[in-house]
Amino acid sequence: MLAVRDGELNALGELFERHHGRLYGFLLKLTGDRSTAEDLTQTVFQRMLKYRHTYRDQGNFAAWMYHLARRCTADHVRRSSAAPRPIDPADLNLHADDAPHAAGQASVHDDHRLLYAALALLDRDDREVLLLSRFQELSFAEIAGILECSVGAAKVRAHRALRELRDAFFRLQRPTPPVS
Amino acid sequence: MDATPQMTCQTAREAFPEFLDFRTAPTARMAERSHLAVCPDCQREFATLTRIATALDEAPSALPSGRMRQRFYAMLEEEKHSARSIHLAAEREHHARGLSLWRRLGLPLAGCALLAAGFVGGTRFSARSPESQDHSDPEARRQLADLQQRVNAMGQLVGYSLIQQRHSPTVDRLQGVLTSASRENPPPQVINELISALALDPSAHVRLSALDGLAAHLEQEVVRAGVLACLAREENPLVQVSMIDLLATARDASARPAIEKLSTNVTTDRNVRDAARRALAQL
Repeated sequence: MLAVRDGELNALGELFERHHGRLYGFLLKLTGDRSTAEDLTQTVFQRMLKYRHTYRDQGNFAAWMYHLARRCTADHVRRSSAAPRPIDPADLNLHADDAPHAAGQASVHDDHRLLYAALALLDRDDREVLLLSRFQELSFAEIAGILECSVGAAKVRAHRALRELRDAFFRLQRPTPPVS
Repeated sequence: MDATPQMTCQTAREAFPEFLDFRTAPTARMAERSHLAVCPDCQREFATLTRIATALDEAPSALPSGRMRQRFYAMLEEEKHSARSIHLAAEREHHARGLSLWRRLGLPLAGCALLAAGFVGGTRFSARSPESQDHSDPEARRQLADLQQRVNAMGQLVGYSLIQQRHSPTVDRLQGVLTSASRENPPPQVINELISALALDPSAHVRLSALDGLAAHLEQEVVRAGVLACLAREENPLVQVSMIDLLATARDASARPAIEKLSTNVTTDRNVRDAARRALAQL
């Protein structure tokens, strides 16, 4: 990114190839919409170009990228005020290596469907901190920097969000009792 | 449940985010780990959280469409093109500034140098003729007056050339206008340039200075007609009010229709409408 900042714009292509898949995955889980996630990914890279002169060497590039992604998403939500839709895993183009094998495929698929549905039930802030904390390339110090809070607060928020997700997941998994 | 006297379930669960982070060393938070090893409630809690965290980590990753890569590279190309255009424009500007400096300073200075050389040469030539040293000689006085006039004209031309260069900095154009406006008897081309500056200069300061310069020559019909023509295209309320006041001072009845139009136009600035109504009372 330092090279991009200094005018070597072609270097952004390399950063795009390295990071856009993971960034898209993050934005897809955050927004629940493929088209929105693609648009936001594009916007993040646009903003990297626009604000390249503000990039400083002291930060991790991924942390800066997610910071921009968070801002872009907040702007998008402010404009559209649309609630995220749960993603159906059947709609996803899976990496060949990630595709589940025949045994247990149906139950795994159900679990993923329930997981995405539970994720969509969380507040955007909870969903955001959860996704950032499970993206293992970011430390809690970096997440705290992105969320503009203390490291302790970031850990507490991540843990609370994970509990929320678990509760939502099990609520969805439990069949509704018949009305007597 | 308390596994150890110092450790509560709540304290132990505060360490769960670190236990769920694979980067945490297995030897970290040993007190909490010891509690977890013997507390069934915390074990159940930790097991369910681990299951959800693992499911989240293993959730299928989606691939963006190929269109996204195309859009990214199209945007990058556009930005590169734009950056190259800005660079070229900056180079052109730099080049033009060099030329402009030569035009602004070099040409007038060269003219002055030629004039000075002519003056020195003439003085030396006349020094060889004793009869011409007598300043009471009408011919010598006429030559000196002629020379004086040429020097004045040269000064006017310097100002004139500064006004003409609308791409030069505002301060230079302003200086050109002030120089031209300060002449007592400006030639027609200087009046024309002042009117032209009033009509076309992008800076309101320059237009106001040009108007001040023209105010001293209101007796000339071309000046009044020029100001009236410029009034129709002027958009700055401050300059509009100054123009209206000037035309009212000149008692130019031909300005009445244009001023009436401004006084009744609701989209016109309120101060301009007020000035127009005052002017109509004077006219």
